[in-house]
Order: sequence, then C-alpha cells, then structure tokens
Amino acid sequence: MDVEKKVAATPLLDELEKGDWPSFVTEIKKAAKTSKMAQGLLEQVEASYVEKTGHWKHGGIVGVKGYGGGVVGRYTDDPDRFPDAREFHTMRVNQVPGFFYTSEKLRALADIWDKYGSGLYNMHGSTGDIILLGTTTENLQPCFDALGEIDFDLGGSGGALRTLSCCCGEARCEKSCIDAMDMMYDLTMYYQNEMHRPAWPYKFKIKISGCPNDCAAASARSDMALIGTWRDAIQVNQEEVRKYVADGMNMVQVCRKCPTEALGWDEKNQTLSIKTEDCVRCMHCINVMPKALRIGKERGITVQIGGKAPVVKGAMIGWILVPFMKAEAPYTEIKDLVSRITEFWAEHGKNRERLGELVERLSLATFLEGVGLKPLPQMVSAPRANPYIFWKEEEVVKNG
Amino acid sequence: MSFVEIKGQQIELDEDGFIVEPDLWSTDIAEYFAKEEEVEELTEQHWKIINYLKDYFKQFGIAPMVRKVCKDNNVSMQELYALFPTGPAKGACKIAGLPKPTGCV
Amino acid sequence: MARTDFGPPDYKTMLPPVIKRNYGKWLYHEVPQPGVLRHVSETGEELYSVRVASARLVSSEFIRDISDIAEKYCDGFLRFTTRNNVEFLVSDKAKLEPLLKELDEKDYLVGGVGLSISNIVHTQGWIHCKSAVTDASGLTKNIMDTMVDYFTGKKSVPSRCRIAVACCVNMCGACHCSDIAVVGIHRTIPRINHELASKICEIPNTIASCPTGAIRPNPKLKSVEINHEKCMMCGNCTVVCPAIKIMDPENDGVSIWVGGKVSNARSKPMFSRLAIPFIPNNPPFWPEVTDAVKHLVEVWASNARPGERMGEWIGRIGWERFFAIADLPFTDKHLDDFTHANTTFRSTTQFKY
Repeated sequence: MDVEKKVAATPLLDELEKGDWPSFVTEIKKAAKTSKMAQGLLEQVEASYVEKTGHWKHGGIVGVKGYGGGVVGRYTDDPDRFPDAREFHTMRVNQVPGFFYTSEKLRALADIWDKYGSGLYNMHGSTGDIILLGTTTENLQPCFDALGEIDFDLGGSGGALRTLSCCCGEARCEKSCIDAMDMMYDLTMYYQNEMHRPAWPYKFKIKISGCPNDCAAASARSDMALIGTWRDAIQVNQEEVRKYVADGMNMVQVCRKCPTEALGWDEKNQTLSIKTEDCVRCMHCINVMPKALRIGKERGITVQIGGKAPVVKGAMIGWILVPFMKAEAPYTEIKDLVSRITEFWAEHGKNRERLGELVERLSLATFLEGVGLKPLPQMVSAPRANPYIFWKEEEVVKNG
Repeated sequence: MSFVEIKGQQIELDEDGFIVEPDLWSTDIAEYFAKEEEVEELTEQHWKIINYLKDYFKQFGIAPMVRKVCKDNNVSMQELYALFPTGPAKGACKIAGLPKPTGCV
Repeated sequence: MARTDFGPPDYKTMLPPVIKRNYGKWLYHEVPQPGVLRHVSETGEELYSVRVASARLVSSEFIRDISDIAEKYCDGFLRFTTRNNVEFLVSDKAKLEPLLKELDEKDYLVGGVGLSISNIVHTQGWIHCKSAVTDASGLTKNIMDTMVDYFTGKKSVPSRCRIAVACCVNMCGACHCSDIAVVGIHRTIPRINHELASKICEIPNTIASCPTGAIRPNPKLKSVEINHEKCMMCGNCTVVCPAIKIMDPENDGVSIWVGGKVSNARSKPMFSRLAIPFIPNNPPFWPEVTDAVKHLVEVWASNARPGERMGEWIGRIGWERFFAIADLPFTDKHLDDFTHANTTFRSTTQFKY
C-alpha cells in the first residue's frame, strides 16, 4: 500500500515506546511505515489516549461468501477525523493447534496480510485465533481466498462454535494425558460447518487441556472443557524420588501439601507411598517431582461444562459432567456428547444464553436427562441442602 | 453512512449497507440488496424467507434465531446458505430490510 | 466458489523433527536458566525452548524478524504460548548460546518460565474494541515495564502469578480466574438515543439482555427506558442495541481483582475477587494502576509460603487479614450483590481481626 501523508504526531503513545517491555506502539509504527491503515490506527489511538475513550463504532456485519462468521466488522466512529481507520475489520484466522508454526508459514501469512491489510496482528487473540487487525470490506474476500491458498481458514464468531484451543499436549509435555493437539485438530475439522455458519443462541467454546494443570484455561473459559486425566495409580520411580531428597527436597513438606493426605514418606525406607483411592489428581506431587512421578496409564478426559466470563448472569467455572471418558481418535464418543449437548442447548437456550446459564435455569437434573447422562456424586461438591425436591408422576403412587 | 438511488428514491445505508429507515423498504430495494449480497435472482424460495423474516420482525420486534428460520421454513443450513451465500444475518436480513442483527461477535 | 471449510494447517507439518520423533514420549522438563525449558524424552533426545516476551500486537516486521531468528537457530520452527510469548524451539544444543546472545543483542526479553511473572493476557482495548473502557495494551505495557525483573528472573516469586487485563467487564481472557486482574469498569448508567432506537433497536432482545431486569419498553417513543436503581452498569444492553451508549471518560476507569486461578494444582480453581474498586483512567502511564499491581505482587511475594499462589495465600490467612496486610480499605463495593452473592457471606464465628 502506498504511503502518501506524514504520520501525525503521537506524543502520548510515544511515551510507551520507552521502557523495557516490548512496545505495541513501536509495532504499530513499524506497520505504519508501509500501511496507511496502521497510520490511521495510530492517530485514532492517540486521540483515545487524549480523550480517555475508544473510537470504534458498534459492531458491523461484514464477511466472506459462504460463511456467516470469522470476520468482525469494525468502523471508526469519526471517519472525518480518522479517514484511514474508516474500515478496520478483523479477520479471525484459525491458529495451528498448539500454536506451532514454521517460519515459512508465518512469512507466507505476512506477505498476504501486507498485501490486503494493515500488517498488524494479535499473536494470538484471547480465544486462540490469529487476529488479523484491520482491513477493508473490499479486501475481505480476496484476502480470504489468498489465505486459503496457504491453508489458513477462518475461525468462528457470533452464535457459533468458536475456534477451539488447546495446550501443547503430548507434543512437548510429559504431563499430558491425551493428544490434545490431535483432538483439537480432529474436532475442528469435524465441526467446520458449526464454526463457520452460526446457528446457535450464542457463542460455544470448546477448549482442551492435557492435564488438570489446565494450561489452556479451559475450565474457566469454555462451555465445554475437555481436560486430560487418568484414573489408575500415579507411576512412581522410587530411585528418582530418593535423588530429589538427596538434592535437598523436603519430602515431609511435599507430603503435607497433598490436599487429601494421600502421600506418605517413609523416612526409614526412603520410600514414597501414594494412596490411589485418596488421590484427586491435583498434580502437586507430579509438578514438583517430574522426574520421579508420572501420570497414570489409564488415561482419558474429564468433561466440564458451563465455564464462562461474567456476561450475562455472572462468571462460572465449569462443572463436572463426565468424570472420565476415553479420548482416542477418532473421538466418536466425545463428538457424540458434543452433539447431544449443543442440540439440547440450541433447542432450549434463549438468545444470548450460554450453556452454563441454561443449565442453571432449567436445573442440572433436567439437563442430564436431556443429554442422556446419569447423576453422579462427582458432579457436586455436596448434595442439596433444601427439601424442595421435584418428583415425577411415575415415581409416586397414584391416588384418586 | 451513504446514499444509493433506487428507482429515483434516495435510500440511506449504514456502513454495512443495511437500510437506515426500515420503513422505506420496498421490493425494488430488496432486488438491489440481493445483487449486493451475491444473490443472482430473487426466486420464490427467496421471497418465502424474506417475507417470513419481515413477518417475524413485525410480530416480535426481533430477527428470529437462525435455527428457527430453518425449522419454520423447512430448509437446512446448507440450503439457506445456497439461497443467501453471505448468510442469513448479513444476506437475508439485509435484503428483507431488517435492522442490522446484533448477535455477539 | 472459493475454497471453504478446510480448517487450520495440519499441525503435523508444523512440528520440528525432534518433536515428531518424541511425540508422547517426553519424560520430564526442567528450567536450566530463566526463560529456557529443557524437555527430555525417554529416547534420550532433548529439546530446548527459549521463551521471549512479545507485545502480542505485532507487525509483519516482527513476524519476519522472529522467522529469521527461527531459521538461523531452530530450522525455522517456533511456537507461541497461551500467554502470547514466543518460543524458539532449539533441537541442536550448540545453537542455544548463540541464540540467547542474538536475542540479547536484539533486545528481546528472555523469561516468563517457572517461578516468574509471565506475559499478561489482555484484550484489545482502544486498539480495536468497541466496548473498551480502557486501553489493555497500554496498561499491559506499563505493568510489565514495572514487573520486568520478575519476568526475566532477576527477582523471583513464591509461585506462578497470572496477571490479566480486560478492557471491560466482559472479562475476556480469564480475568475472572487470574492471580491479579485489571478490569475496565463503568460507574454511570447508559444513555439512550431514543430517535435512533426507534429505528434500529431490537427492543425485546435489549430488554432480555439486562441481567437485573432494569430495562422496560417505552412504547410511546418506540424505545426503552432504564431503571437507574437497578442498573449495575454491565453494558450488556449497549452490545445489543447500538442506540445505547455507556462510555463516560470522566467516570470510567479500572478495578483490580486478586486471588483467582484456573489450575487444579493443589487447590481448586478460584475466582478473582475485588481488591480495589476504582482507579481513574490515567493514560499514558496509569501510575496508580502500576503502583497497585506492584504493591499487590510485593505483599504476596513477601508473605506467601513457597509454592503458594495469591489465592492460596489469601485462603490460608483469610480475606480480613489480606485487606489488613495489603492496607486496602474494605468498602460497600466489596460486598457482592449479584447472582451468587450469598455464597460469599460468612456463616461462621471463625474469623480473625
């Protein structure tokens, strides 16, 4: 893109080029050397800093042919002042599972984005997508077509399945109980239609973490969190345990921090014991002694539902729906569950009602019946404390 | 905001090309929007959906959820996108002259 | 018709050979020096990952620069972390030191691993969000400028400390479960442009969008009205109806929340709780915010036991002690009055002074 005019002065933003931490202002300025849109962004953000208010209009609706989402329309609220930020749409590009890239792929992406957009990115957005920040309505379709040539598809937006995300799983983590990246890739490919053509009451997020450390923040941020777990014994290498002790690890303290007192240290025999029936897989001992302790061998996932940020009825951390299920390709059981849940929610959910809010409104029991699951004590921190129980007609003796 | 002239009438559009004064909607305007939204010709099937959307909005004051559009008109999502390639929100609602849907982004 | 529904690039084509060979075979990892991870496989092979800070909002020039570096030292393989850091994946140990040297020369910050404060997960702010109350990028830049020694490992912390910044109460980015969260808030009720509303407002959806039922129809104006007493300034209605505005530069600002966590490690996941209800927006430096965050980190770091996250420390000493130790006023704003409020009220005579 041609750059004709000089970049306006940005004294407030310039202050944020100082300091040790990488500067987003410097990044915008780099892009502004060759992009008028990036210049427009600088001018508008400087104005926001002066006036302490944003300058983007209420969401627009733009897109590419065949999709109902993946692009977020954005316009400046003052096109006379910020003509170069007049149209500044975001393209959500589905990231590679685990955020792994080759330089070749990233360069190809940069070449396309320099041609059709501002040359600015979020690596990555909160949901996980590569966010291409700032292009015009006219450039959306050609940019999407060019992205397709290097195998980058759009992610989700609106009332659709949002782009999935996961931790790096077995690719680089010894604690991963599942192949998180493969699961994300497989589910993503399977649910392309649900991602690209919004047909649901609101957003639906699926996130995958390889273990209960939950590095993908799945339980807090996704309607359906798939979290790697195991249900047999932690694998113990006593030799390595003793090495940790020899290196100064205070094993009594490690044991004291076990939340269920499942860990025991036999000082005399220099042996660590774990009561498997008491272990709640909190990862503590595995985290502190990675060389000595390993996740168990019978692996799968725990499914949590309902996690979300505060909008509308308050923040929730996902509730246990399935304590344990197998998670092996082609993940048929998981897909079946996803379909049952989304079908129930699409049928009963109100406009802008997330899954967790629906379950709270209708009751967990109603939801379980709807998706064909049995209640389990693992689902609750305690059973009900009030006596107002719903009984069905068939559960009581008919009289009269 | 911009204006287009349709059959001698100046029609105001917002940035996304949605009609600003829904009361001014006419079939001519629908034909104009259809071209903008990659619909070559408005067929009977298209009109069925367009009229459904208009009626629904008139009755309830909102655009129906996509699932309901499909159910009530006995079309699948694929068929809906075949009719309106830019989708039900951007395509069909615009052609039907509904206010811009404000689903979450 | 253009190609559609083909999904992201196949991750298998993005992995360095050492990862392909050792996929699912990793035995353990350690942190030989700040910012560097050493993963060891059961095959005996090892992988060094070097983590560097990023602004998250980056340019093509940045993308090409990290690509250059990756090609020089990592056969072109790199990745990003869930907290927006860049990781260079080094399979040849001999290239580790030269890589670290070049990163240092180019002023990349290496760190964010283990007992450190990693990058802030943050939202768009004034850069690109329509509902931004504050600028997340600016806040992040300033906070991390202050915290940089905790990132690079010059100063250490008792445990992980996840900081998040969200530019409005939507709390994108797990703010509701972060050790420290900075969240943009409104303090004045939305204003309605009735004339515009009569044309473009989906009135039933707007009424339904209000979690406290504060919105009712105004049939005379073909618009809606907001009950001031019920409105808690969540801004939901402004998302649904473009004719409703809530931005108020003089009254908008940020709040600070503490003690949340996502991980199940040791203790259960926890919500972040309100520590400081309001700090005015003060760009470009937001000194009151950076001071507050620094203070919270220092109070925690000097009081918590090794391994204790912010929320675990507060859980052990109690919130009443936290407010005393951190020297923060406890006000009516700290009392919850929303959907799950009564789960936060104390029902025991056990408490401290």
